[in-house]
Amino acid sequence: MKATAAPIRPEAVGKPRAGSAAGRFAVKLALLLYAAGTLYPLYWLFISALKTNDEFFAHPYALPQKWVLSNLSRAWELGHMGRAMVNSVVVSVLAVALTLLLGTMAAYVLSRFRFPLSRAATGLFVLGMLIPIHSTLVPLFIVMNKVGMLDTYASLILPYTAFELPIAIFVTIAYLASIPREIEEAALIDGCGWWGIFFRMILPLCKPALATVAILAFLRFWNDFAFALVFINSQALKTLPLSLALFSDGFGTDYSLTMGAMAIAVLPTIAAYLVFQEQIMKGMTAGAVKG
Amino acid sequence: MPTPLRSRGFIAAALLPALIVFILFAIVPILWSVYYGFFQWKGMGQPKFIGFGNYSAMLQDPVFWRALKNNLILVVSAIAGQIPIALVGALLLTANGWFNRLIRSALFMPMVLSTVVIGMIWGYIYNSQFGLLNEALSLLGLESWTRAWLSDPKINMYAVSIPINWSNIGPYLIIFIAALQNISSEIHDAAAIDGASGWRKLRSVTLPMVWSTVVVTLVLCIAGSLKAFDHVIVMTGGGPAKSTELLATYMYNNTFAVYRYGYGSAVSTMIIVISLLLIALNLLVTRRKNG
Amino acid sequence: MRNISKLGIAAVTAMTLLTACSGGTNNEASSKNGEGADAGKKTKLTVWHNFAGDDARAKTVRAKIEEFAASHPDVELDAQAIPPDGYRQRLSTVAAADEMPDVFLSYSGSHIKGFQESGLVQPINELLDSKQEWKDNFLPGAFDGSTIDGSTYLAPLAMSATSFLYYNADLFKQNNVAVPKTWDELMAAVAAFNKAGITPIALGNKAPWVAQSTILGSLADRVTGTEWFKKAVAQDGASFADPQFVEALGYFKQLVDANAFAKDANTIDNTQAEQYFVQGKAAMMVSGAWTLTNLAATSEDELKKIDITVLPSVPGGKGEANTITGGAGAGFALSKKAEGDKKQAALDFIYAVSGPETQKAIAESNSMIMYKTEVDQSKVTSLYYKAFELVKTIGITPVYDAYLSAEAAEAINNGLQELMMGGKPETVAQNLQDAQARSLNP
Repeated sequence: MKATAAPIRPEAVGKPRAGSAAGRFAVKLALLLYAAGTLYPLYWLFISALKTNDEFFAHPYALPQKWVLSNLSRAWELGHMGRAMVNSVVVSVLAVALTLLLGTMAAYVLSRFRFPLSRAATGLFVLGMLIPIHSTLVPLFIVMNKVGMLDTYASLILPYTAFELPIAIFVTIAYLASIPREIEEAALIDGCGWWGIFFRMILPLCKPALATVAILAFLRFWNDFAFALVFINSQALKTLPLSLALFSDGFGTDYSLTMGAMAIAVLPTIAAYLVFQEQIMKGMTAGAVKG
Repeated sequence: MPTPLRSRGFIAAALLPALIVFILFAIVPILWSVYYGFFQWKGMGQPKFIGFGNYSAMLQDPVFWRALKNNLILVVSAIAGQIPIALVGALLLTANGWFNRLIRSALFMPMVLSTVVIGMIWGYIYNSQFGLLNEALSLLGLESWTRAWLSDPKINMYAVSIPINWSNIGPYLIIFIAALQNISSEIHDAAAIDGASGWRKLRSVTLPMVWSTVVVTLVLCIAGSLKAFDHVIVMTGGGPAKSTELLATYMYNNTFAVYRYGYGSAVSTMIIVISLLLIALNLLVTRRKNG
Repeated sequence: MRNISKLGIAAVTAMTLLTACSGGTNNEASSKNGEGADAGKKTKLTVWHNFAGDDARAKTVRAKIEEFAASHPDVELDAQAIPPDGYRQRLSTVAAADEMPDVFLSYSGSHIKGFQESGLVQPINELLDSKQEWKDNFLPGAFDGSTIDGSTYLAPLAMSATSFLYYNADLFKQNNVAVPKTWDELMAAVAAFNKAGITPIALGNKAPWVAQSTILGSLADRVTGTEWFKKAVAQDGASFADPQFVEALGYFKQLVDANAFAKDANTIDNTQAEQYFVQGKAAMMVSGAWTLTNLAATSEDELKKIDITVLPSVPGGKGEANTITGGAGAGFALSKKAEGDKKQAALDFIYAVSGPETQKAIAESNSMIMYKTEVDQSKVTSLYYKAFELVKTIGITPVYDAYLSAEAAEAINNGLQELMMGGKPETVAQNLQDAQARSLNP
């Protein structure tokens, strides 16, 4: 994918904004307040992760009186979080890559070609969005058990991909709908094959859609508990959500360890979000080509 | 586009990988689960075929109807809340300054947080004795408005729907931002020349350009709301006394807690059927509106 | 262009490889076993349990499992610690696929019965009979919940004592309230604490089994007697719609109506309720032995304020008053499929992690057990020691959800939440009756 030529990128054209200065200020203030409310839980997670259990309950909103960094290190150690983090990265990244590749190819075909069964294929993917995943646990377990796929990275990557494909495909189709077809037709006349058009033009043009899909998919894979619980046996292959669940049984929860583990687990997702967000915004300049 | 012979190879090669993974790991298991739905089976031992017995039992169970009603509350609140807020947010935040970047990240943050953290935080907000909401109401002299927000069956589903909506705005925001960036600056310029601005531009230029995305987000919203599971499990567990039960928690509970595996499978089939009906309805409405 | 179309194909192949590769790790693992078999005929043994956390009991059991692995070089042990929140779900999934692990943690009562009825487990009488002294040292009733048609399927590792009345002795003294021995005294205490602005009874019933397991079972047994309950469970000569059970629910409702519980009792979890109680925001808490384990990390200063007794008697009750609900808890079960060397290894394992030494070690990690042993007072919390001594002097009555069908247990759990929201005892009793009848004759 990386080998393809980048399209020309003229500078973004700033959009003129209407409205008075006071109105703009009010809007900004409202946004800022909303954002503060939304960031608060993140802040709360981190201060809670550094408290003792007693303090967590006695003063839920206050800063820690005693900063307990050991919550993080103990959670890291007891939850085998180092290994789990590696596994989560491997599984999530591979599944995201597979979702993007398969999803975009399928979306492109479904949005640009009419062929027998094209509507049926689209309909089938719609169906995929509606499936409550817990009902597929037992059948998937039986199938994967039969083909000897249980307890491998693939036993997570392939179901993750399968369940994320519908969303990937529809977000991309919606995005493709606003890309004019004329340039593809011109390229076709110029002798580019479909693969050439797909990899050289469509993929780069779709970057914002790809980044969108990638964020959503990454978060979903990173946080999945149900599949990871049932399809993975070996300690060496366990992913992070299993570590997070260790400190709670039916009778009680060790909140300080749970919060510590969660604080660790959330960092990579924030990083991933920031990286992909940049990709979405970069697409903005690329968008100007298509006018 | 016409389908010349040489495109056929491309169509097959680009579509089949996605289709195969999707069918094997999503469609086959769900069909299997549909099949289990015709049996009385506790998830082990011998299943007994009972035809539509599970379905007639379901239709007679008041808890099923309550769960359906709660899901519909979620669907309506998601369509009325998540999509407009995300769209307005996206319209306000497409430019790429540091302020917008900050706000965008903030709006997305609930998405990266574990539902356990979100459940805890909102549990503290809604707590009747020392919750933030009741304390704020008391400060404002509105003592009579204070409630046991999560316990009172008349209001708790609405109370629960707020955090669910709040934490799900992020994905739609991202999807809309990606779509809005696809509108080329020439179109904005042309609109400006025509003298279109503000609401008129939004109605006649911007919205039609992203309409296909709006339709997709509506579908995602409906599908997502009918599958909603995590937040409710964490905040109320579907209780008290089933007052916040959702179809997915109802299905999960029957399958894995009460060991009515066949019945749980029938419920998950029902979830798919209901989602399909709602999505068909949605497509009908949006198509008419669009045309 | 060729190169690019190759890329597409490469991606598809990569996908196939991916499956193949990860399949590879699997093969590797099994070939390791193969080597072992060549070297000294290793027996592979898979064990599932949920002692995954950081609490003392979990660590104790895990240590015993490691000891077993070290002292049995001929056994290749694959012991899986599964997060407790997902344990039953995972077990259900493999049960549906008929792929049970060789040895797994199960629970006395309807849980183990489910596996037995589906032919997934085999008895361990052979082991029990070969270690007579061990078998005899289990407390009376230890095997009741796991003995079906004369065969026993579990050797319990834990006692699920579920209905101690914990109380904050300081708060009782400060407010001049007597520790309740009768129902009227309890109601008086509830009124007194409400007047003082202290929550009378801490309850975290978000997971709705809590009120049933801790309060209702004990209360109902005092009203109806144990015999009636066993008949009602068997639907043989008694029904949950009988007036005596409605009366029992009525007592629970009296507590609700007197505001004995906080308004949020149904939306906070057990840990939160324990914390309110320990912090002195509530005067009493009816809870099980798990609270002893959960509070083990609390400072002795705070624990010293807490004392422990049983629920008060009810007027005219048919049941014994000086009792708590309880019974055997979890224990290791043996898969039907384990045979030959594997079965022998499995039985050795079960003895190693449920034998006298482990029982003592578990007790000394502040957990209740179904086994006669002495504990070293210096190794446990003061509160645990009080409970340990108390249990020696009182009777044990059945825990409702260990005997009811899963569906009926859900009906009563749910029903108690309904009562707390203004429901009627008659309706709740009828729903429980219907659910139990339905699961016996589907």
